[in-house]
Amino acid sequence: MQPLANITPIKPAARAGAVQLGGVGLVYKTSGQDVVAVSDVSIEVKPGRFAVLVGPSGCGKSSLLMMMAGLRHQTSGAISINGAPIEVPDPDRVGVVFQEPSLFPWLTAEENVEFPLTLRGVSKQERRAKAEEALQLVGLDGFGKRHPHELSGGMKQRVSIARGLVQDPPVLLMDEPFAALDEQTRMTMGDELLRIWAATGKTIVFVTHSLTEAVYLADEVIVMSARPGRIVDRLEVALPRPRTFEMLSGDAFGSLRDRIWRHIRKSA
Amino acid sequence: MSSTMLRRLIVISLIVLWEVLPRIGVIPELFLPSLSSTLLAGWNQAGEYGHALVVTLYEVAIGMVIACGGGILAGAVVGSLPRPRLLIMPMVSSLYAVPLVILYPVFTVWLGIGSESKIAFAGMYGFLPTMLATSAGIQTIDPQLLLAARSMGATLSQRVTRVVIPAAIPTVLSGLRVGGALVIVGVVVSEMLISSAGIGYLISRYRTILDSQHVFAGVLLVLAMAIAFNAMIKFVERRAAVWQTGTRAGPDMIAREIPAAATA
Repeated sequence: MQPLANITPIKPAARAGAVQLGGVGLVYKTSGQDVVAVSDVSIEVKPGRFAVLVGPSGCGKSSLLMMMAGLRHQTSGAISINGAPIEVPDPDRVGVVFQEPSLFPWLTAEENVEFPLTLRGVSKQERRAKAEEALQLVGLDGFGKRHPHELSGGMKQRVSIARGLVQDPPVLLMDEPFAALDEQTRMTMGDELLRIWAATGKTIVFVTHSLTEAVYLADEVIVMSARPGRIVDRLEVALPRPRTFEMLSGDAFGSLRDRIWRHIRKSA
Repeated sequence: MSSTMLRRLIVISLIVLWEVLPRIGVIPELFLPSLSSTLLAGWNQAGEYGHALVVTLYEVAIGMVIACGGGILAGAVVGSLPRPRLLIMPMVSSLYAVPLVILYPVFTVWLGIGSESKIAFAGMYGFLPTMLATSAGIQTIDPQLLLAARSMGATLSQRVTRVVIPAAIPTVLSGLRVGGALVIVGVVVSEMLISSAGIGYLISRYRTILDSQHVFAGVLLVLAMAIAFNAMIKFVERRAAVWQTGTRAGPDMIAREIPAAATA
């Protein structure tokens, strides 16, 4: 395994936080029946690591992410971020990026990024400065005055990432953020995300159902099975960083992807 | 020729025809008095028309407040709560198809033939489409936007003021456009039916004595009112709904907003 030192973030690890899930379960009722969506999931992601949750559709990986974001409540177990339990959304600790960019169409890119700060009454000047910095980080300086409908799919998702990062939370949760993009944009965005991650040193938990994307991005891949959603495997991805396009066709990459695929085929 | 120019040309030719056709006797002046004689008739009775306009505008203004304020409020409640929606919406939708003007005589019994009955009738007339549009506007808000706001720590009231309201504005405005127009219709029609003041009353009174010039002078005033209302709504739409480019804002607006159309 590649030592962590090789991916030393530029910012100190103080702004990266640990994500801990202990025995997390989610049961919900539909027409009187109990459905077990997630069962006994325990995960620990160390500060600054890039973890990817992968699994067949319906395995509860998105539900799990929503629980980590405080947007949904687990029915059993405990979730803690940065050492403290998360009960309600806390943008100071957790930034969330969804599959849909979820930008407010009536606001400009800049105002969208400022939105979480606006909610907390941060002064206009400070908001502008932070938004500018975040947009620059995602490679969108000069596009702040555009409205979402004037941006391409990839650019919208960049704005959404900037919005997730604007409060400098130690943890960034991403729910299939590139699933709606075309393949070329998706590849580019993957590289962009790795660049942003290296520059900020955040802890990232990333949900996807693309095996290639999972192996390409991750330090570790957590594989889940469906109905009920539980962890079936955990892989360290020892490929060196920066990851390159050539690695995709290498043996190491292939065997990791095969191993994940075997799990998913079994449970699908 | 651009469509704007063509449109202007059509309006200008209609105005010219209105003047010329009655003058050369193609249309009898009783059926359609020439534009100039209509304007002159109106000018000569400016005091009377002015007074009528004040009455009508007053009724329209209060009617709008009832229709728009009440419609938006009721629509917001019905749109955001599933239970009242299930109870009320089917009734409201079928009520929408009933020609409500049949109820006007009842309103005069309750409220007399003065302004009150007109305001009540017109207010109710414009209320329904505004309420329907507002409720639809709130129901069709992308739930993903609310979820995103919640993930950023937005409280309930912040979600309402910063997400629900701005997201619903375009739909609400399109409801106001219909509702507001119906308020004008409601006021003028009820004035024409049973009344003693207002533009509708003047039109109706001059018609009984076959004074076409004065009838059409009143018609012109109603026309002007409707055009002014439309211009007002357009102005608000342009200010509030820039983001609905291509559907609500005009093409010149798009050109202004996107100097170099979005690049990938």
